[in-house]
Amino acid sequence: MYNIPALVAILVFPSGIFLLAYGLFYEWVDRKLVARYQNRLGPRWFQPLADILKLLAKEEIVPQGVQTMLFVGLPVVGLAGALTSALYVPMFGLEPSFSFNGDLIVTLYLLSMMTLCLGLAGANTVDRFSLIGATRTLTQLFSYEAPFLLALLGPAIVTGSWQIRQINDYAHHHLWMALPQVIGFVVALVGLMGKLEMPPFDAPEAETEIVSGALTEYSGRGLALFRIGKDVELVIGLTLISSFYLGGLANPLEFIVKTLGLLVVIAGLQSLFARLRIDQTVGLWWRIGAIMALVQLLVMVGIRMVL
Amino acid sequence: MKIGAMFGDVVRSLFKRPATERYPFVKKAAPKNLRGKLVWDPIKCSGCQLCIKDCPSEAIELIVLDKVNKRFVFRYHLDRCTFCDQCVQSCRFKCINLSDEEWELAALNKEPFTVYYGREEDVKFLLEAAARPDEVECKE
Amino acid sequence: MEAHESKKFVVPIGPQHPALKEPGHFEFSVDGETVTDASLRLGFVHRGIEKATEGRTWVQNLYLLERICGICSDVHGTAYSIGVEKLAGVTVPPRAQAIRTIVAELERIHSHMLWLGVAAHEGGFDTLFMFSWRDRETVMDLLESISGNRVNYSVNLLGGVKFDIDEKQAGEIRRGLDYLEERTRHYMKVVTTDETFLGRTRGVGLMSKQQAELLGAVGPTARASGVERDVRVESPYLSYGEFPVNIMLETAGDLQARFVVRINELFETYRLIREILDHMPSGELTTRMPRRIPEGETISRAEAPRGELFYFIKSNGSDKPERIKVRTPSLCNWGSVISMAVGHKLADMPMLLVGIDPCFSCNDR
Repeated sequence: MYNIPALVAILVFPSGIFLLAYGLFYEWVDRKLVARYQNRLGPRWFQPLADILKLLAKEEIVPQGVQTMLFVGLPVVGLAGALTSALYVPMFGLEPSFSFNGDLIVTLYLLSMMTLCLGLAGANTVDRFSLIGATRTLTQLFSYEAPFLLALLGPAIVTGSWQIRQINDYAHHHLWMALPQVIGFVVALVGLMGKLEMPPFDAPEAETEIVSGALTEYSGRGLALFRIGKDVELVIGLTLISSFYLGGLANPLEFIVKTLGLLVVIAGLQSLFARLRIDQTVGLWWRIGAIMALVQLLVMVGIRMVL
Repeated sequence: MKIGAMFGDVVRSLFKRPATERYPFVKKAAPKNLRGKLVWDPIKCSGCQLCIKDCPSEAIELIVLDKVNKRFVFRYHLDRCTFCDQCVQSCRFKCINLSDEEWELAALNKEPFTVYYGREEDVKFLLEAAARPDEVECKE
Repeated sequence: MEAHESKKFVVPIGPQHPALKEPGHFEFSVDGETVTDASLRLGFVHRGIEKATEGRTWVQNLYLLERICGICSDVHGTAYSIGVEKLAGVTVPPRAQAIRTIVAELERIHSHMLWLGVAAHEGGFDTLFMFSWRDRETVMDLLESISGNRVNYSVNLLGGVKFDIDEKQAGEIRRGLDYLEERTRHYMKVVTTDETFLGRTRGVGLMSKQQAELLGAVGPTARASGVERDVRVESPYLSYGEFPVNIMLETAGDLQARFVVRINELFETYRLIREILDHMPSGELTTRMPRRIPEGETISRAEAPRGELFYFIKSNGSDKPERIKVRTPSLCNWGSVISMAVGHKLADMPMLLVGIDPCFSCNDR
């Protein structure tokens, strides 16, 4: 669908309003699944929408001592980054709207922009909980980013291209890459949980230790934008992983089924573990995660050279 | 070295009914011993006022209209009551009880929280007397 | 305390903090993620209960003292009743003692399961939190069917108990206990084998036996370090003389040991309740109690779920007490938190705090 005018692509579909609504829908599915795993009822379908509307209606209090422009602007920049990255992935099973060589790297950096904005927002605030939260966010960014990138590079190497659309096509016509590249699949999935700060990797946002981490002083619109940004990232992350590892997304039905399947697994992983301390997270990723991803990469490179 | 020790629980919960009680659409029956709202029977009361002496929160008042003929009106402050059951234990004539049916006591104003118990004519007499403050009541 | 250097800063936890269920103020001086100093302020929930007891009669005080704490409310009422009955020279009939014991032990179950959930929640393990609180509903329903209320059961009267446990209720209790025992076994497995959970609890908050004795720790916190202290065994009250309890000890002294001690106590409680139900003495439920308690002073001790509860009651012969002094177990355990906190990471602080099972309402009265 590369003949959608650019403005419509950004504002309505595949980015913009559609993605925002879809992100809220996935947040609801995630919360409902986690609740059902814990033998509870879970929220009703309009709960995430009600949360965002309520937050948008509340007053945004800018604390003393912060840079106002940064404080107000960082959530917007983070959300913008997440929304822009939707233009390059096969959203909803249709072809990406814009595609050029190397857009895999651009998408990954756009997704990381959200985490950077979160860290900066926390460092900007003078409150000690936010400072500790920002430190933890950036520490976690440094630890999972490398294995996550390496894990997503595996399919790129097999395809021989850096363009998401081509990787999607290749995955669609060949065997599901999750099977020969199991390690990469697992690392990518767990890396997505780390990126989104989902339990057990929610040390930067640990409610019982540092109130809300980097987001402690945010209220009203800023908090709403950060939360929507996280939901959008969830959708895009799931799209990327299912498009690379689960055999490409060629039509909306495949999109919905595959991403929902991954969401069921992720929600299960969320409810199974206790929270890891930040030093345990770093240790885990740099020792096990990075090594696993490297091993997978070497195996792929080796196979390609042999074949 | 085990990861995910609650795996069995978590997976089985997907297929079980959630444990949440869907109140107010589904209401469980209250146990027989439930300490709900106070109920007073004017026929059996002898006016000894032991319940009032023992109440920890001064939630009961007995207004004596005629001691010889045992005409009492019982004013019960529902918002002060702690549902402790001491009045029931102190009473020797079994005329006080804590109901096990009326326990949903939330209200939107203060009116339902002052409850008058007694024979119909006594309560009517008292309320009319209260509306006309020049009429004098007997000792409380 | 020169804590205002620019390198280390002070992280305040409380009085309003998601880690604390009740207000208390902790100040941890932090260097990166490592805690270098800790200090504590209490008294945020002081309600003046001890003074308020002086203006109410003995009967009314029973209900006031019960509401010092919501989790251990029955043991406050029990300790008070035992003290007043000692002063008045009244012996409570054996059936009433047995029923009091059963309710006290049921309260111990509910308190330990609540603690298990809250400790799991502080560690980020929400699933264990939800499941253990779901199973705690069994005990709450049992207590409601016996006494009529889920919290503040008010089973004690001065001189006996109010409610009886008939055969049908005894059957319900037994069935509830069977279900709970199976679930508790499962939780024991989770707490001792799950790697992520062990990573948060093993080796955290190590307290040796000498340290525990020096700091005066009581309750499961002390028993997890190997100190043999349990009021039910040392000076038995209620029916603990005829139905003795085994002390559960662990020697490791870290957070893991505290979990294990409390879950072991749960098993011991199940066994005890079944034994009492099997050999329930018959008889009346109350004895006559005078309205004016004779002059004198007495102390009474009870084993709350958190440790030793201490009551000093002084009477001057009238129908109102002269002085009631309450010393709750949480007060003894704060010293251990402050001395253990140094050297740990900030992320361990909430778990350390919850490991002693703090009850600020009890503490501040």
